[in-house]
Amino acid sequence: MSSRLRSLFGFQESGLLLVVLVLGLLLAGFGGSVQQPVLVRGADGEVTPQLNAAGEKVLVTRNRFLNARNLAQLAKDTSFIGIMAVGMAVVIISGGIDLSVGAIYALAAVVSALVLRHLGETGASAGMSVLLAVVVCVGMGLLCGLVNGGLIVGLRMHPFIITLGTMAIFRGIALVASGGQSIGDFPPALQKIVKFEVGDGLTLVPPFVMVLVMIAGWIFLSRLAAGRRVFAVGGNEVAAQYSGIQVQKVKLGVYLWSGGLAGLAALLAMGYYGSASSGDANGYELNVVAAAVVGGSSLTGGRGSALGAMLGALIIQMITTGIIILGIDQNYSQIITGSVVVAAVALDKFNTWLAQRRLARRAD
Amino acid sequence: MAFLEFHQITKRFPGVLALDGVSVSIERGACHALVGENGAGKSTLGKILAGVYQPDGGAIRLEEKVIHPVSPHAARALGVAMVHQELAFCPNLSVEENLCLGDQPRNAAGWVNRRELRARARAMLAEIGSNIDPATLIGTLSTGQEQLVQIAAAVGTGANVIIMDEPTSSLSLGETRELFRLVRALKARGITLIYVSHRLEEIFALCDAVTILRDGHHVVTEPIGATSPQRIVRQMIGRELLVREPAHLQRSYGAVRLQVENLSSPGKFTGIHFSVRAGEIVGLAGLVGAGRSEVAQAIFGLDPAAAGTVMMHGRALRLGSIRAALAAKSGLVPEDRKRQGLVLSMNCRENSSLAALPLLTRFGWVNRRAEHELAERYAKRLRVKTPSLETSIASLSGGNQQKIALAKWIARECDVLIVDEPTRGIDVGAKAEIYQLLDELAGEGKAVLMISSELPELIGLCGRVLVMREGRLAGELPRAEFSEAALMGLMAGVAQSAA
Repeated sequence: MSSRLRSLFGFQESGLLLVVLVLGLLLAGFGGSVQQPVLVRGADGEVTPQLNAAGEKVLVTRNRFLNARNLAQLAKDTSFIGIMAVGMAVVIISGGIDLSVGAIYALAAVVSALVLRHLGETGASAGMSVLLAVVVCVGMGLLCGLVNGGLIVGLRMHPFIITLGTMAIFRGIALVASGGQSIGDFPPALQKIVKFEVGDGLTLVPPFVMVLVMIAGWIFLSRLAAGRRVFAVGGNEVAAQYSGIQVQKVKLGVYLWSGGLAGLAALLAMGYYGSASSGDANGYELNVVAAAVVGGSSLTGGRGSALGAMLGALIIQMITTGIIILGIDQNYSQIITGSVVVAAVALDKFNTWLAQRRLARRAD
Repeated sequence: MAFLEFHQITKRFPGVLALDGVSVSIERGACHALVGENGAGKSTLGKILAGVYQPDGGAIRLEEKVIHPVSPHAARALGVAMVHQELAFCPNLSVEENLCLGDQPRNAAGWVNRRELRARARAMLAEIGSNIDPATLIGTLSTGQEQLVQIAAAVGTGANVIIMDEPTSSLSLGETRELFRLVRALKARGITLIYVSHRLEEIFALCDAVTILRDGHHVVTEPIGATSPQRIVRQMIGRELLVREPAHLQRSYGAVRLQVENLSSPGKFTGIHFSVRAGEIVGLAGLVGAGRSEVAQAIFGLDPAAAGTVMMHGRALRLGSIRAALAAKSGLVPEDRKRQGLVLSMNCRENSSLAALPLLTRFGWVNRRAEHELAERYAKRLRVKTPSLETSIASLSGGNQQKIALAKWIARECDVLIVDEPTRGIDVGAKAEIYQLLDELAGEGKAVLMISSELPELIGLCGRVLVMREGRLAGELPRAEFSEAALMGLMAGVAQSAA
């Protein structure tokens, strides 16, 4: 391997990128092709299928996986989990875990949907409603994070237990607040922004936000002193304390970060789907943990990255998409996803072992 | 033909060649010492024989048969057992359960036969003359007692080769004496002992032959009668160890930097008072359990229950707050570097800069170039041996790890430095370097409080030594009155201090 290629693939997440690439190639190769209508944007800005002289839709043949619409869909589907996975990676690096992210997502969405609906009745401006949605949804996430962090730090209890409890509590509050109903009829301003379309009907706002979050997470973890403190606390809490790091403050911070990002994911999802219910994001916490772990976060703490978490979410979503594209029986979906999670982590371990062996060789 | 032979053993670890073609012959029934600096490969060689590590090359012959101990269990079957430095048992199980862990007596239904279990454990303990209660949880035993249980396990399973890895490194004086008696008894029974240590007094008291390793190479194997401590030290480090008067003693001291008055912590220590001036190295001696480390922790704000006065630069410190201690420019190099001193999942650079991070940070951003320069500067000054600053600290030898743990606080530019057992478990060469460094730091006007269990280093380096006994200050000796006997007397409470 040339040295340039090695430096390109020498970084931590190179293995994950390779997996994404291979999965993509496999899906492009075995997915076959599909007939899609050609879309045009009319003078009114609406995107409609192009019609031929006979009034029939014009169709083109495209690769089932490798076409703009499918890739945009994949990116959109990845983004809700991906955003939360960046938050989860930080929590896991600090040596903790946050099982309540799915519940925070549901609670934040329900509460802000209720606020927005109420606002719609009073006839507030569009800008006002969007601003309020952002503040309420992300604020609700932060508040839940504060509750998690506060309990973990205050009671000195294991985050697994605390967030297992708050997972049920948050979702329960969402259920009570929504009365078990899906809340949808709120002002469309938020929806307009989230579903802003590029090209021929591609919705790229959620993945764009995910990339921003990933970059923010990357800067936080690798460039800021606060991120270094997270690694130190996760690597060795006692040594971190002896070094003058306020361990409890760091712990509180990571749950705030995770809660806030769950709120942000909820905001985007609420805007995208146009409704919120207490059953939203049920079971997401496991996918989010899986994404972070596939992305190289170590559950023992002290290791992980934001880019890795995002790529982990992408890999999991690609598998789910792949099952549909390859026409595999949906019933097998869980088995395959589970196996891939285990295989990916095993591969990562193997990779680390290889790197260590290379290092040992070089020492001779 | 030798009883046990290592032939051209080679072992690689990430970043280091731990053993490079080492050949050693050991006689039956001998107590054979393996000595060398940390990182010389002595523990590695022991662990290869015990099946903990697999060699990358070479062969082991036991009674002229080539053996391949692929696991500690396989080594046991060959009659080879190892007494480890650190936890080798499950701390949550009792002595008897641990002793019979590999082969629990069962009754017809497959249940554990507890009576048989206890009888067997008691017999094993009696074999080595120990009266530890077999029902005690391992976790509640002292390190010394746990080692006895390990030895009982080795003897009880019929081992005829026992490897002891630095057995006295965390034992009290009484426990060490007890261990020595046992080692002699084992030898009398014809058991071959491999004694890994860097305490030369012990080797001369116990061993018949000595093998010296340096940087993974075999230097020499000699009968103990044919060598001397000076000769061994020379062979270990490959150069003469300079023993000279520390330079800081020639200078006059500055203002009082650290003043402790009537410092107490319930159940730990009471009425501690002393002061350290700028440019001074003050020793703090005492037996294990005398409360030395606890005092250091209280000064550094790690003990919320502490009461009394700690003044730094003439200003009283808020007790129980590390941040207050840090703001007063003090640093603590803790006793246990792996547990308290270093973050093993981080690399050398990140560990060096961990305490100094606030100095390298502006608006929350770490100045990466300044961080790299800082790490490089201290790695060079302390002569840290590492392939690169980005190497994981876990792959470094103990001495180099300790240097980084020290660098961390020197980089923080503290004026008051407390070092707790700064040379524990590190080799002679690194020790000399750390003494030199502490002397230099005192020369730069820092106030140094040095806690140590090794009297020679306190005597060699300090201007005066405080002695603690059972949570109280038992006395203070000026340099003119230094002697191991005087210090020991104060530590054990057999003589009254002249001061």
